[in-house]
Amino acid sequence: MNIFLFLFFIIWLGGWWINIKISKFNDPNLPRFIVPSLFGMVILLMWELAVIGLQINPILLPAPSAIALKFSRSLDILWIDFVQTLIKGALSGYILGCGAAFLTAIAIDKFNFLKRGLLPLGNFISALPIVGMAPIFVMWFGFDWQSKCAIVVVMVYFPMLVNCVQGLELIDPNRQDLMRTYSASYTQTLIKLRLPSALPFIFNGLKICSTLALIGAIVAEFFGSPIKGMGFRISSEVGRFALDMVWAEIFVAAIAGCLFYGLIAIIEKRTTFWHPSQQK
Amino acid sequence: MKTSYLANKFIPVSTIVILIGIFWYLVAVPMNSDKVSRQFKNLPTGEHILKCWSLKKPKLPTPHQIITEMVNTIFFKKISSKRSLVYHGWITLQATLAGFFLGTLLGILLALGIVHNKAMDLSVMPWVIASQTIPILAIAPMIIVVMNSVGVTGLLPKAIISMYLSFFPVVVGMVKGLRSPDQIQLDQMKTWSASSNQILWYLRFPSSLPFLFASLKVGVAASLVGAIVGELPSGAIAGLGARMLAGTYYGQTIMIWSALFAAAFIAAFLVFTIDFLQKITLKKMAIIR
Amino acid sequence: MKKILSILTCAFILSTSAVFSADKVTIQLKWVTQAQFAGYYVAKDKGFYDAEGLDVTIKPGGPDIAPAQVLAGGGADVMVDWMPSALAAREKGLPLVNIAQPFKSSGMMLTCRKDMGVNTTADLKGKTLGVWFYGNEYPFLSWMSRLGLKTDGSTNGVTVLRQGWGVEPLTEGQAACVSTMSYNEYWVVRDAGYSPEQLTVFKYQSEGAATLEDGLYVHEKNLSDAAFKDKMVRFVRASMKGWKYAEANPKEAAMIILDNDDAGVQTEKHQVRMMGEIAKLTAGSNGSLDPADYERTVKVLMSGDSDPVITKKPSGAWTNEITNAALN
Repeated sequence: MNIFLFLFFIIWLGGWWINIKISKFNDPNLPRFIVPSLFGMVILLMWELAVIGLQINPILLPAPSAIALKFSRSLDILWIDFVQTLIKGALSGYILGCGAAFLTAIAIDKFNFLKRGLLPLGNFISALPIVGMAPIFVMWFGFDWQSKCAIVVVMVYFPMLVNCVQGLELIDPNRQDLMRTYSASYTQTLIKLRLPSALPFIFNGLKICSTLALIGAIVAEFFGSPIKGMGFRISSEVGRFALDMVWAEIFVAAIAGCLFYGLIAIIEKRTTFWHPSQQK
Repeated sequence: MKTSYLANKFIPVSTIVILIGIFWYLVAVPMNSDKVSRQFKNLPTGEHILKCWSLKKPKLPTPHQIITEMVNTIFFKKISSKRSLVYHGWITLQATLAGFFLGTLLGILLALGIVHNKAMDLSVMPWVIASQTIPILAIAPMIIVVMNSVGVTGLLPKAIISMYLSFFPVVVGMVKGLRSPDQIQLDQMKTWSASSNQILWYLRFPSSLPFLFASLKVGVAASLVGAIVGELPSGAIAGLGARMLAGTYYGQTIMIWSALFAAAFIAAFLVFTIDFLQKITLKKMAIIR
Repeated sequence: MKKILSILTCAFILSTSAVFSADKVTIQLKWVTQAQFAGYYVAKDKGFYDAEGLDVTIKPGGPDIAPAQVLAGGGADVMVDWMPSALAAREKGLPLVNIAQPFKSSGMMLTCRKDMGVNTTADLKGKTLGVWFYGNEYPFLSWMSRLGLKTDGSTNGVTVLRQGWGVEPLTEGQAACVSTMSYNEYWVVRDAGYSPEQLTVFKYQSEGAATLEDGLYVHEKNLSDAAFKDKMVRFVRASMKGWKYAEANPKEAAMIILDNDDAGVQTEKHQVRMMGEIAKLTAGSNGSLDPADYERTVKVLMSGDSDPVITKKPSGAWTNEITNAALN
């Protein structure tokens, strides 16, 4: 057994042991940050050592250090790809799709018949592999970000719609009656009671859709794209055996995904502080 | 009971489906119009529209074209034939189920670890959430290739993608479910001096089942998506994803759509099966109690 | 010690071939099962490999499969790939060696629509062109740089699209030209209703930007193993026999391909036609690589404008040892 693999196991066991010790601290906040970051660091170290120790060819799996190096050297390309795929493709589609779903939910909320028809259907469509439609959308909407935006719109629309409709539906009848005794109009009830109480569902939808948007925009680029974008870079760099660049793009996607998810979670916390799920 | 089901669900849903169908046929006309005018010059309007609905490689095929293709490739081809949609569907279904099984297993094990071990709760849970922000589908091709090249071939690489997608809802649902018994119930178990294994088996596990089933439905749908996207890069070899890819490659739009529809049926079948199992299980448990 | 070992291996080879326990060979193809690989399928189907005491597994490729990666991971013994990609892998630390080159000429072309205003290379300026990436973009980039056209989308150049796996960009009018292979995509364009008169075709071969396509590559370290070398000699011999058979019997070769197509999408018409076109490319090669073709490929690759595929002249990237032993 070589020295690197030996270190690999030492770090594994050591990390494990330290984490168990730390998590027994009574301080409520300290372990919550240290333990997961230690866990992440141990994984990275183990990855590095495994690549060196097993002499894995860099065209199969590069070491984290090589990825970090590539990342720092190609910030300009990564930024261009980030703008092309995540801002132009994913974010615009996300806003359009979620926005349209939200408006549809409010529009059909008044019509029970539509709601009963759309809800099961929306649930069903949410379970479908919509991402398989990506090649069709590239054929329809061209190569640039518009087709990526379109696939994202379709991917996020139904999960968001279902969540919004469900949220608007689940109202405590007592509160509804209370609004009626105040002789509140439909709009007033909607804004003051129903939308706020639907917020946990809406945020749930927004969270689910954020991952979907990321996936849709990147996968659609595999079926044709201009010569920039994360999906383009990932697939063309695999062909050039520059796996370090591929992983750098994945890293960008993961960071962007985490930040976006975190942002939604923070807004959720600020706006739905009253909901039982936010109280611990 | 029957009439309320009709009025509450069947009629509204089928109305909307019919509306979507009409809309589909309407949209197909402008979408395919260019192609028709390129192939046939100066057709009268009526015929022009009919041609829009019956092109061989349309931009948007109409539902009846897709259904005809599906019927042809499902019923009029030998199941073992490589041109049969059943053959390809079965391959995708296998990968889906294998991945779903692995994902569920991994999800339940992780959830048990997280509920029982504080260190695991603190260190693993944030990474479980972070893991899902990595667009795994986007790097599925690379993962498949790398696994292929180290000798993991066939069903397994696709199943691993499926597993990655389906373990997440199971972990989240299961952790929620295993923690759902409230303090009073836990105290009750303690007064009976139940061991933690007994608490798990007689209290935590049964009360987590509704959560588990809800997660399984999400998980199985994710698993199917994983299997299909996993089949895209492995080339036009086999499976519904490969069918879609081959359709793109040769401009066979009807083939793409029929594979999409087939995937939709499989998704519906899987979700309904779990729904059915859920109803039976939960009913039985209520009787036992 | 080494001597004993090599004697032992020789003895082993002799004994194995004597009792006909076949040596296993796995070949990774560059693309899906189609007539482009007819030689290998024919050799397997017609028993040419069996006759050489080989048990050959053919692994089809696909759009996102880099054969070199499969080889690096040990998933295949030998692969079919294009030279640009093989040389790129060599520079990245995977020493691949070309052991045989059944394809003499390049089938890559740029197919353009005349109605979008492309008749000569001078018309390309300002147009949108569909290009395959994934390692197949190098000949294009080098050709463009020789024409003096920038590929970064600036006004005096061309706009490049990463073309998917179909030819829709051309048929849907999103691009004026798309990359096609003479044996495959070109005919998909033709089938979509375009006549030769409506199309302008630039062949990389005649534009002087041709690189070597479909060759057989192995890992360098395996070539020092006598047993492996012997296996490859037999493999190349049987494969070339397969190729010549396929050239002579295109119809039968196409049917063998159809039998092996797991996706069930290939049609007889397309495969027979493809076999005919492929035969034009394999014609003139007995399997051994022509050093002049290799030098031309390297020149094309190193003349890439901003981002050359290979930065230094490769050495040891090919050998005639196997083909010499196989064919003489």
